Amino acid sequence: MAALGAAARALALQGRSGGLRACLPRPCWPHAPGRESHLWATALLSLRAALPVRGEPLRKKKKVDPRKEQAAKDRLKKKIKKLEKVSQELIPIEDFITPVKYLQEERQRPEPEVPFEVSERRTLLMKKWTLYKQQEAEAEQKKIRSMLEAQQEALRELRQESELLYQAAIRRDDSLFPFEKEGPTYTPATPGYQAPEGKYNDVTKVYVQVVHKR
Amino acid sequence: MAAPMRKMLHGTARSLECPWRLRTLCAAATAAPAAAATPGKSAASPNGGSPWRLLGALCLQRPPVISQPLSPLQVEMAELLEQIEVEKSRYSDHEIRALEEAQRLERKKADIYDSDDDDEKDILLVQDLEDTWEQKFLQFKPEPRVTEADKKNDQTSLHRKLDQNLVLLVKEKLGDQETWMLPYAEWQVGETLRGTAERALATLSQNSVEAKFLGNAPCGYYKFKFPQAFRTENSIGAKVFFFKALLQSGNLSQARKKNDHAWVSKEELGDYLKPKYLAQKTVAVFQFA
Repeated sequence: MAALGAAARALALQGRSGGLRACLPRPCWPHAPGRESHLWATALLSLRAALPVRGEPLRKKKKVDPRKEQAAKDRLKKKIKKLEKVSQELIPIEDFITPVKYLQEERQRPEPEVPFEVSERRTLLMKKWTLYKQQEAEAEQKKIRSMLEAQQEALRELRQESELLYQAAIRRDDSLFPFEKEGPTYTPATPGYQAPEGKYNDVTKVYVQVVHKR
Repeated sequence: MAAPMRKMLHGTARSLECPWRLRTLCAAATAAPAAAATPGKSAASPNGGSPWRLLGALCLQRPPVISQPLSPLQVEMAELLEQIEVEKSRYSDHEIRALEEAQRLERKKADIYDSDDDDEKDILLVQDLEDTWEQKFLQFKPEPRVTEADKKNDQTSLHRKLDQNLVLLVKEKLGDQETWMLPYAEWQVGETLRGTAERALATLSQNSVEAKFLGNAPCGYYKFKFPQAFRTENSIGAKVFFFKALLQSGNLSQARKKNDHAWVSKEELGDYLKPKYLAQKTVAVFQFA
């Protein structure tokens, strides 16, 4: 590369000297061309020297490397363009997006003036509630623990009785799950109840998430 | 803690479960020759040498149909939460319409605008809409939460105490006494204990009841020893393993006579079962909410 640079500089010098020579009125051919040709020859020689000396490996690198680099750069650019164009669309949760019409000014309720006693009562009630919920959770956990303990004891006793029955008891029951059951309602179901006739149009938006291949 | 309880169990069981032993002994008397006939098993002991007889019992539960009533604290809290929610919310379309109509009515009363602002919306006021909705709601008569069976206190009916778990109890005649207990069956060779419980259900209901068994493992057990007179060399006592099942459909009323079975809630268990039987660890089996 340095040789090339030198050769290029030599050529450039040669060009300049050629220009100077052209301004001169008398044709001084004999020495100037000698000088030029010497420079040009050295330039050529240096070029020729440059190329063949590192010719073989350089040639290969030149052909393959730039191509590879160019291909890699192209791929990167394509990817960037793709990402910029279409970012992954996440399915929106419609419950969390407040419709714009409810953010308008006239929709706002006037600030309620909560007197001090009422706010005090509210805070005290919330404290009682937290305590109640804590007790409820503890009772539930205790219940579950005692049920599990009873089951473990029963299994232990069964093991003492017969190993075969024990193995049958601890086997997984595949028919149990998936287990579906309707929960309790506020009032019991009326037997023979006819629901009123009518149609409804289901306008729920169904989103499909597109997965981008990388 | 479990060990002394078990000792108490044995002590009390001996005196209390006497009638049970009589029945099981009859079964033993019939089973012994049958067991002796089965090849590959030690004579008169189907458990492969263990002195305990195995029984599979069924804890069939009817899950609650309606929700339980709220306690006063819960009612207060629900009201408070609703109030806070309303305070923090925005006006809905219905409320805005109501506000506009109120304004319009005021303007009318002030006699400024008379018929200039009479729009089509005047035909149906918000108040009218709300009245029609109220009327429609009152027309719908829901089923009462306290059913007839509750009032009559009919123990055999499934519609009693809709907000609680009910467990099936059967009255078995053991020797000279009749006791209430969970339905059970003696374990036979070649079936799992869960199969025993299922067989108990089938024989009891003659296949009219559908139940979902919750897993292969028992949820509790009860061990008792026979009184001295009834013990043989191979059976000191019996172990009952309870299996939990949820009732899905069907009822026993067709299969059994009246007063032979009962669906009882947790509080009423004490009336039916013997107090010592109730007070044991097996009560953990009945830990239903």
